[in-house]
Amino acid sequence: MTHPILRLVNRNLTISLNPGFLIWQVIFPLVYIFVAGFAYAPLVQGISFGAAKDLDYPAFLASGMIGFNIMNSTLVSGIIIWNDRRHGMFEQIMSGPFTRGHYIISNICTIAIVGLVSAAFIMAVGYPVFFEDAEISIVTMPIIVFGAVAGSVLFGSLASIISTRLRSSEGFNVIINTVFLFFAFVSTAFYPAEGVQEPLRTAFYLNPLTYLVDVIRAGIFGSVDAFVAVEVAVLAVLACALFVVASRLLTRLNV
Amino acid sequence: MPHADTAAADDDDTCIDARHISKVYGRTSAVDDVTFRVQRGRIFGFLGPNGAGKSTTIKMLTTLVRPTSGDISILGIDAMKSPLQVRQRIGVVLQQPSYEPTLSVEKALDKYGMMWGVPRGVRRDRTESLLEEFDLAEVRGRRNEDLSIGQRRRVQVAREFMHDMDLLFLDEPTVGLDPSARRDLLDYLQNRVRETGLSIFYTTHILTEAEYLCDEIAIMNRGRLLEVDTPDALKAKLGDEKTIKIHLPHRPPNIRDLLSGMDGCRIEFGGDRRTTVTIRSSESELVLLRVLGILHENRVEIEDLSAVPTSLEEIFLNMTEELRGQQQQQGGPDAGAGADVSGGGDGGRRRTGRRGGSRA
Repeated sequence: MTHPILRLVNRNLTISLNPGFLIWQVIFPLVYIFVAGFAYAPLVQGISFGAAKDLDYPAFLASGMIGFNIMNSTLVSGIIIWNDRRHGMFEQIMSGPFTRGHYIISNICTIAIVGLVSAAFIMAVGYPVFFEDAEISIVTMPIIVFGAVAGSVLFGSLASIISTRLRSSEGFNVIINTVFLFFAFVSTAFYPAEGVQEPLRTAFYLNPLTYLVDVIRAGIFGSVDAFVAVEVAVLAVLACALFVVASRLLTRLNV
Repeated sequence: MPHADTAAADDDDTCIDARHISKVYGRTSAVDDVTFRVQRGRIFGFLGPNGAGKSTTIKMLTTLVRPTSGDISILGIDAMKSPLQVRQRIGVVLQQPSYEPTLSVEKALDKYGMMWGVPRGVRRDRTESLLEEFDLAEVRGRRNEDLSIGQRRRVQVAREFMHDMDLLFLDEPTVGLDPSARRDLLDYLQNRVRETGLSIFYTTHILTEAEYLCDEIAIMNRGRLLEVDTPDALKAKLGDEKTIKIHLPHRPPNIRDLLSGMDGCRIEFGGDRRTTVTIRSSESELVLLRVLGILHENRVEIEDLSAVPTSLEEIFLNMTEELRGQQQQQGGPDAGAGADVSGGGDGGRRRTGRRGGSRA
């Protein structure tokens, strides 16, 4: 018999990967990369990146969409808990052959899988756009994978925390959409932080998506410097902290 | 189907042994010092009005909620020390609906079996059989969120039979089912118990269901256990009162005066034209003779007469009313009068042996 965590991951993936979710995950980034990317290209030219490199806007945006899509997909997967509570499945699972530990770890694994697959998909789709500038190496690849996993855990945990605190669908939708809006647009996913006026620039760096996008972008274009190393550390600390909070809240969740 | 590897391992015939369990939420006592035992291979009914503490009790027994005090042993396993071990051997259908909205009925059954580690081939066979037995074959491809409440409830109960278990907890499983589906479910449960030796803990507030299905019944109100016994024994013990109904073609103006001197009974007048006389008494034969004598002497015509044995419903209502009265006398809803009744499910109690549709 397979391990309870694997059984729960199997179940989570089955219920998460419905056609609507997959279409959303594919269509949304494609429109951004190939429509917005090329449409804005004449307006945004030669984004300076790293020590001596300029990126064109489609390449900049396509690399940002990897982090964006990780956030998008893991926020959606992270609401498994909310859906389970809403539809009575949390109690049902807890009355079955599973512990809360199994449940928490299976959710994180599901989120990480969805995040990694999502990142791989956008990498594949966006590659024709940024391949000329890409400098993926044996050194930068682990940074990209680390960013994808840490970002998945971070946003998945955040969605889990929101899921444990809210019951009503109205409240949940308002919060998750607000969070999404802030994270998506107050970040470096769509535009660089350089040149942005204060206090908006500072707000960019209060947003975990900025760290995720910067780390992945640095990994793709091979420009890992001291600042990126700090961003990797911030991402790791935030992911760990939110994971601990989410786990504690889930452990205490009443049935 | 019981777990082959564990069914024989336990040393006695008890599948649930709850001793002095209580659950307190803040200042509210949801369950108060409840003790009972359930034997293997039996259907144990847990009756009580809304808010009686049934669901809290079932959550404690299924290890979802930890009791504030007391001990629980399920299938010989200490539920407090080894909750996971308990959960591996039980099935639970909770009161609230639970479903995966985006999965089809067929997929939901299959995935639920997968979650329990049931091999693929077994899952396929069980899915087919349960779809037929729970009348779900026609909606097998429909998503759970598109089902009616009753269909969704049937899926919820059916999927529990995807996995092996020794003890099944059902918390008001017939809520939302039409009468025909309800009867089909009760018959299905009876057959499973008969064929596989499964034990069932069944909560309901529908008394006819409990009377039809259960070998033993516990009556609970306001967190206290009032009685535990077989339906027949409960009726014999608590339902000695019979109800006599006399229908008159016309209501004589002095009927109330004529019957006012009767002792040892309660008389009510009902019906559209107040022409039905209902008499409740524990000495029904004697009272009936006296009433007939009075009516005959006064030339009162009788259209119809019937004597009805006390139903479980009347016993239940009497018990809960009695308890409420005692609590009011003692000053306050929490001033409990329900004594702890233990020993339900002891070996000396007989099986009703009345399965197969003769009741209800």
